[in-house]
Amino acid sequence: TLQSTQQSHELRPLSRKPATELSLRSLVDMGFTDSQAEHINDAMSKLRGGSAAKHALSTLTALFVLGLNPSSVLKLLEKCPELYTVKESQLQQRIGNLRKLGLVEGSLQRVVSHYPQILTVSVKAIKHVVVFLREKCLFTIQQVTDILRDSPAIVMENMGQLEYKFQYVYFRMGVKQQEMVKSRLFRFPLDEVRCRHCFLERRGLYQTPDKKGQTLILNPKLDSILGVDQDTFVTHVANASTEEYDVFKRLMAREWQEEEQWQGSIEVD
Amino acid sequence: EKWAVTRTKHPPTSLALQHFDATYSVQLGQLWPSVRAALLSERKYGALLNHFSHDAVLADLEAQGCRDFLSDTATETQPCSEQKPEVATEEESVSMKKCDSDSQQLAPLQLSPNIKCLVFPRGDITRFKPARPDMYGLLGYYLMDAASVLPCLALDVQEGHNVLDLCAAPGGKTLALLQSQAIGFLCVNDASVSRMLRLRKVLHSYVPKPLLTDEKLRITSFDGTKWGEIERNTFDRVLVDVPCSTDRHSLMEDDNNIFSKSRTGERRKLPELQLELLLAGIEAACPGGEILYSTCTLSQIQNLGVVEQAVYLARENHGIQLQVVDLRPLTHMFRKTFHFAPDLPLGEMVIPHLAANFGPIYMCKLRRLT
Ligand SMILES: C[S@@+](CC[C@H](N)C(=O)[O-])C[C@H]1O[C@@H](n2cnc3c(N)ncnc32)[C@H](O)[C@@H]1O
Repeated sequence: TLQSTQQSHELRPLSRKPATELSLRSLVDMGFTDSQAEHINDAMSKLRGGSAAKHALSTLTALFVLGLNPSSVLKLLEKCPELYTVKESQLQQRIGNLRKLGLVEGSLQRVVSHYPQILTVSVKAIKHVVVFLREKCLFTIQQVTDILRDSPAIVMENMGQLEYKFQYVYFRMGVKQQEMVKSRLFRFPLDEVRCRHCFLERRGLYQTPDKKGQTLILNPKLDSILGVDQDTFVTHVANASTEEYDVFKRLMAREWQEEEQWQGSIEVD
Repeated sequence: EKWAVTRTKHPPTSLALQHFDATYSVQLGQLWPSVRAALLSERKYGALLNHFSHDAVLADLEAQGCRDFLSDTATETQPCSEQKPEVATEEESVSMKKCDSDSQQLAPLQLSPNIKCLVFPRGDITRFKPARPDMYGLLGYYLMDAASVLPCLALDVQEGHNVLDLCAAPGGKTLALLQSQAIGFLCVNDASVSRMLRLRKVLHSYVPKPLLTDEKLRITSFDGTKWGEIERNTFDRVLVDVPCSTDRHSLMEDDNNIFSKSRTGERRKLPELQLELLLAGIEAACPGGEILYSTCTLSQIQNLGVVEQAVYLARENHGIQLQVVDLRPLTHMFRKTFHFAPDLPLGEMVIPHLAANFGPIYMCKLRRLT
């Protein structure tokens, strides 16, 4: 598509402005400043010429209807220019679906401006994630809503990875769903979660609960492990030095990499 | 995948961990979490350079970024040395001036210039490749815990010494001792016949045949505790590197683990066996001779406890007076490479640390006064 963009550019060097009703004028009328309007125009012309423009108007309208102001609309489109190309009917369906999932006005707005990519994901794919969270992980409807609101990027994640992360935290760390939601677990990459947990575990500061959910020591809450920056984690939660954690991270990375290679080699056999 | 299912009930490794948590958290206090994390993570090795190999191994290893920790010493802040110890050159040895004028006499420490052990720098987790044989089939280096070289250095073998290595197999320390090329006669012993076979293989892969003749070397498989009955007052130097709870191994490997239920009796009897071995080593040394006791455990009972009792029993039962030799000059010298336990009342101990993941190695040196 990159090539075709360039080609159409060369073929029609003068038709920078696509032939639609979306003129600079109308953008300004929508509330954009002159330079913002220029911006949008540029962005669209960099996309697939005509087809982008075809859906741009409905996209902009939909975003305004959500209650976003021109500057946040602009920012969000810069983050995710694909939105220019989403069909109106699809966009409406996706927004409707997110509403049905409990993302009502305030939160829908916030999710879309933080993670506009969520509107590029099909209703079916999102359903898939929701079913996974409900049925495989046993989150409640409300918890699923909270997860989508706090960690919308989950909708683009690899399901296998997601399942592994959930099982790791549930079984290995003994953390219940409510805690997971509270700590915004799904915002953090698996390796980060594992690394912090293993570090605490090897230092004797974290134990996997037994069948009755009991431990000999008081485990720190998931939220206090994940919800702080690395320095705070190392010095205040793990009571260690940065040097130790730095070496530890590299050791872990190598350990996991070798584990994966090893598993890969069995699958091949 | 299923975390809950795959875990067996009480594997020896977790019994070991429980045991260590209970004892070492008291013994090491605030240091324990850091030592614990290091013990449970990948250890570091050192490459003991084989002087008998014909390949340019040293240059090759240095090109990979390692350095000989024996010449990389913390000299700059030597508190009371009259003269800066020289970095080992080919013909000279590093000499350490006495650093402490309290109570006992410290002879200057002679380190053999022939012993070289390469390590990757602090915090570097690069691994060594397996050593390769030279044109005569001799391997270029021996991979071992770099901290295991310290007991050999502390033993301080001098030209022509008669040396006994009482528990020698598989032979890492024997090899380090042989590198010094100072030993007059070496007795290598280990009670385990199968481990002795491994030691023989090691010697043949590293040392040229002419140096392994009967005039230079004797290999035996006796019960070391009986040595005092065989050969008393004989050796200038005795290395007593006893069997112990091998902390690192016990935490990492379920096979052949001393914390397995079936070996509980054996484990409980370790301090007793260690004491008997040390006493036998003391008897085997000649008056004026020196004995080095070492373990690879952090356990106070197996370390200080055994030494204290041995010193007491040697006097009471055998009329042998012993002096504890201060090893602080040695530890001070290598504090750039290893973490040492602070303020041990008796002996010195390398404690594992993630950035310098060597040890644990405990060592205590005794000199026979009578
Ligand atoms: C810590 S290992 C020695 C490691 C060796 N010094 C090295 O550096 O490679 C302890 C050894 O003591 C040996 N041992 C156990 N009981 C013994 C005994 N009663 N007499 C002599 N050796 C014994 C074991 O077979 C084992 O090889």
